Amino acid sequence: MVAVAAPELVSGNRLTALAALSAGCRFFAGYPITPSSEIYRTMMEELPRRGGLAVSAPDEISAIAACVGASLAGFPAMTATSGPGFALMVETVQYAVMTETPLVVALVQRLGPSTGGATQGGQGDVLLAEFAGSGGYTIPVFAPSTAAECWRLTRAAFAWAERLRTPVVLLSDKEVGMTLETVDTAALEGDPVPPRAGFGAGRVVRTGSAHDREWRLRKPNPEVVEVLAELRGKVEAAADELALVDADLEEGADTLVVSYGVSARAAREACDRVRARGRRVSFLAPKTLFPVAERALAAALAGTARVVVVEENATGLYAGVLAGRLGGRELVRVNGVGAMIPPARIEEAIA
Amino acid sequence: MTLLREGAGPWCKGCGHPLVLRALDRALAGIDPAELVVVTDIGCVGLADAQLATPHTIHTTHGRSTAFATGISLADAVLGAGRLKTVVLIGDGGATIGINHLVNAALLNPDVTVVVHDNFLFGMTGGQNSAFTPEGFVTATTPGGAFVPPLDLARVLLAARAPFVARTAGGDRELPELLARAVAHPGFAVVEVLELCTAYATRWNELTGARLRGLAEEAGYELGVLRDEPRPTFAEAYRAHAPAPAGDDAPAAAARLAHELEEPVRLVLAGTAGERVQSAATALARAALACGLQATQKNDNPVTQGTGFSLSELILSPEPIGYTGIERPDAVLVVSAEGARELAATGLLARVDGGTFVLADESVELPPLEAAVERLPLRDTAGPKGAALAAVEAWLERDGRIPAGALSA
Repeated sequence: MVAVAAPELVSGNRLTALAALSAGCRFFAGYPITPSSEIYRTMMEELPRRGGLAVSAPDEISAIAACVGASLAGFPAMTATSGPGFALMVETVQYAVMTETPLVVALVQRLGPSTGGATQGGQGDVLLAEFAGSGGYTIPVFAPSTAAECWRLTRAAFAWAERLRTPVVLLSDKEVGMTLETVDTAALEGDPVPPRAGFGAGRVVRTGSAHDREWRLRKPNPEVVEVLAELRGKVEAAADELALVDADLEEGADTLVVSYGVSARAAREACDRVRARGRRVSFLAPKTLFPVAERALAAALAGTARVVVVEENATGLYAGVLAGRLGGRELVRVNGVGAMIPPARIEEAIA
Repeated sequence: MTLLREGAGPWCKGCGHPLVLRALDRALAGIDPAELVVVTDIGCVGLADAQLATPHTIHTTHGRSTAFATGISLADAVLGAGRLKTVVLIGDGGATIGINHLVNAALLNPDVTVVVHDNFLFGMTGGQNSAFTPEGFVTATTPGGAFVPPLDLARVLLAARAPFVARTAGGDRELPELLARAVAHPGFAVVEVLELCTAYATRWNELTGARLRGLAEEAGYELGVLRDEPRPTFAEAYRAHAPAPAGDDAPAAAARLAHELEEPVRLVLAGTAGERVQSAATALARAALACGLQATQKNDNPVTQGTGFSLSELILSPEPIGYTGIERPDAVLVVSAEGARELAATGLLARVDGGTFVLADESVELPPLEAAVERLPLRDTAGPKGAALAAVEAWLERDGRIPAGALSA
């Protein structure tokens, strides 16, 4: 018998919370909603023990507004919710975009629309997370497929929130967030986010209204329009660096399978199975959904004629995002709601 | 030393907002502007931030100013230097849409002072009625006079245990002193100031500054300081209830047990919520971990926590696990009728084949299956809450690839 550091049986939600703590998150405000509630509970237990502040909010709007306030005061902040709660938070997410306030929102998806299915997974909020705001300002969205990726991408979310002074969404779902799985937690790492000044270093002025460089409310003049362009430009300029993907490309493959989040696990398994039968296929799992990982996508598309996009929603929401980027290739959508998409269905689509 | 820029500000002639702002400026005279955050709401009153030259200013979304201010104040008080004074400027429209934030702040008790500029209507958007519009009051949206009674905010916040609550009418010569007292109060304080909107309210109603007190009386509003009873702030209470600091989480070293599993095994455990089904599944997953295997445990149950079915899908594997669902089960353990019904409903039973190991409690009815079904009196011998673990033990024993002793490892 050999003594080893034991891997743990742990959920993605728990690792999301622990990653936030390790990244330097100091403030959490929460409101319960399945399937994200374990993040809330873990932060209420762990933050006070580590000198941080976790607080219960009376609704999701209060929760995210308190987080923005704490972040403005200089303390990295996070909240966690699901689709119905995120819908309530959208106005304040936009406020964080406009006021350039670092913030991480863990959006653990469930079946929608509306109250939908509280204990049922889904990937229906991918466009809600990115496009619910006005104006086309890119909010970085990371989509973990595993518990270990919940850790890794939560760390990335905090790092990018601070670096770009923006809200960032960690988009998981019930099956990634609540399923327990083996993780070698001793091997998880990442540099903490550097401390940031709040109200202690110079006057702080912020407004969610259109403003000039001095944060003065103005009707759109050329400077105001420039400020708006910079809000977009700062994220676009970092797009290549933001782009995290898991790519497994095969020489001579005519088909590329693209999937993310929970569905990427089944898609990966389907690719392994068809390869075992001698079928050549390439696989791409974007971990960064937005901004779109353009270079990685272009590299994966090279030489292929068909693209199979797998996601657990009604019509293929991310496939719609990718559709204009496929250069005339055939697009095959593998979708479904109410249950995880099994590998066999993806095998059929790869054909 | 004033906090204000020169100039009258963007408000109409006779508007109450600049009067309150000037009173607030006098009230804040002794405070270092570097330690003062003014949080403004949406509406005409929200334009006050542009008139402030030296304090921090945060112009927020409609009605939510108090929620932002709560975050700012709590973070500073608990995590930071704890020297900030946070003042919210909000109108009756903002207090209508955001009343939950006022109630919550009153309960939490951060060091936030909210000044409610109550001119009985929405001014910026054209004079529509708010929850604060008095009966009989003509607004753009109550052309025949309002017939719904107005909200008594002070009473609402008294009920929410706000430690400092005051209400006064515009023109109160002692407003600076009242506001200074509110700001000096160590926790949450609210001051509602009844005032004039000269764009709409005075145009459509017989209203003057001198009439404000009469209007308050008709609405049944008490004026003056209605409560000044400090209680522990949120930060004080938070510190008083602080748990012991976290220790170092040194990874636990464990002895690895031997196993003979060479390919993944996919197992479903089905039973009734509250009967330790998922915890039995976790025990099996941990047993696999103790042998150096990978495991996933995907649970399912109804929205309610303690009734209905409870289902765990387990995959134990020597290799990393991809898809966490079960296309074809290697083993199905059913310990209650509710579990059996859910298995049938999800289609899992239809995917059982001749190679599937099926174990069921004697009490459970199952449809005809391709697999042989082993029956055991699990519920009778181990009790309803021990049946799931007994089923796991029985499977381990029959399967033989993972040592039964790993369950207690």
